[in-house]
Amino acid sequence: MRRPEPATVRWLILATLLVLWEVVPLTGLLPELLLPPLSKTLAVLWTDRTIYGAALLVTLYEVVAAMLIACGLGILAGALVGGLAVLRNLLLPVFSSLYAVPIVILYPVFTAWFGIGSSSKIIFAGVYGFFPVMLSTAAGIRTIDPQFLLAARSMGATLPQQITRVIIPASVPTVFAGLRLGGALTIIGVVVSEMLTASAGIGYLVTLNRTILDSPRVFAAILAILLLSVGYHMLARAIESRMVVWQSVARRPSAATRREREATVPVPAAA
Amino acid sequence: MQHLANLTDVRGRAGESAIEVDRLSHVYAGPDGGVPALVDISMSVGKGRFVVIVGPSGCGKTSLLMMMAGLRRQTEGTLLCHGRPILDPDPERVGVIFQEASLFPWLSTLDNIEFPLSLRGTPREERRGRSQAMLSLVGLEGFGHRYPHELSGGMKQRVSIARGLVQDPPVLLMDEPFAALDEQTRMTMGHELLRIWSTTRKTVVFITHSLTEAVYLGDEVLVMSARPGRLIDHIEVTLPRPRTYEMMATDVFGRLRDRIWQQIRKTA
Repeated sequence: MRRPEPATVRWLILATLLVLWEVVPLTGLLPELLLPPLSKTLAVLWTDRTIYGAALLVTLYEVVAAMLIACGLGILAGALVGGLAVLRNLLLPVFSSLYAVPIVILYPVFTAWFGIGSSSKIIFAGVYGFFPVMLSTAAGIRTIDPQFLLAARSMGATLPQQITRVIIPASVPTVFAGLRLGGALTIIGVVVSEMLTASAGIGYLVTLNRTILDSPRVFAAILAILLLSVGYHMLARAIESRMVVWQSVARRPSAATRREREATVPVPAAA
Repeated sequence: MQHLANLTDVRGRAGESAIEVDRLSHVYAGPDGGVPALVDISMSVGKGRFVVIVGPSGCGKTSLLMMMAGLRRQTEGTLLCHGRPILDPDPERVGVIFQEASLFPWLSTLDNIEFPLSLRGTPREERRGRSQAMLSLVGLEGFGHRYPHELSGGMKQRVSIARGLVQDPPVLLMDEPFAALDEQTRMTMGHELLRIWSTTRKTVVFITHSLTEAVYLGDEVLVMSARPGRLIDHIEVTLPRPRTYEMMATDVFGRLRDRIWQQIRKTA
């Protein structure tokens, strides 16, 4: 018997979960207050589609703005810290330890400073996503093979050319890994801050409906956030695989060595 | 002191030398003062000659090559390439080929070969023409659009040689270019290099720690001592060109290889 493809298994697990979501509440094993059936959740999502749509737009706007801050500042700061030894020795330990601080404790301060509207969410989530972007950019620049720079210098590359033609392309894969993580963190940051103090957005809908014990609407909001994150993840993956074709394969050196023997290296004409 | 006489002899032909090293010394800054790496190196590489430098690991032969490439500055002495001092990398005078092929993984084979040209803003069409020509010179037609990770170790070094030759520099510096290859590939590549050299007539300075490679490839072999590195022998390889694999089994080949080994062993 052939082993089924992992992808098939993944879809099967997802389908099973969806079926359980529908069946378990109907059998009465779990009260509907704790888990409303899938059909009921979807129905609510459909009838309130304008509310959910508007909330999703608010959240999406905050996420995009926060990502711009996190990526922009993160790449800039990471490039400086990774590229300049003075800054690196001074700041990298500080940033690394700040990364471990639960930044959410600062959120009440942010609302006091920037109000309960979108700006406090954008800034909070921007800070939240900043750290992985910054740290991986710094790491990406620091771990560039010095041989690349030596080769570029031997070919007469000036310092600006070394930066644009070698350092930037060489650090793209590592930076991208940081962007993917940073982006995911900004989504978390936005949703969490909306749940804490807000008057709009999908996180706000979760909190609002939970306080009035309207479970189907809580789960409808959760479903919307789930779709947002999955959509983001797929988008990030697609961009990444397009940008760094060489990375995925280059990481498997054994393949190249194996081909060494099989490769039809042309026989020297002089032999 | 026959080898010293040889050294003077080679230095005497200054008019036709491509690279001239005069009383070069290098000291590394260390925690307890300076660590001498190279001591009083004088040598001359004639135009169109294939000169091999052999020496034990850490003797400073790579440092010497980096200085010839303008990638590192010596503490004392002068280095001339075609009569002008070497102060900075100058890819139009000197092409460098490293032990690691150091191809950029994000560029295709052709783009890698063209890289030095694109740095000087050579027009795209001219670039393509020259990189294609280099690609066929190293025997890799049809691999132009592959990426480095799709090439074997030997093929990568061929691309790296093509990249070193693309600006047509009169001098080629090679720092153990085949050291990372397996022995069979290494033999083939050595032979290939001689073929390329015989068609382009470049001056080659080639660093290796393989005695066989040194004798097989070189017109002359310079032997360096263990650190701090000095030149301790200069050997003319009397084998005729073109070299063949069969020569490796001859007495002359064996005697030359043995002489190098005795010199290195004395200082180790």
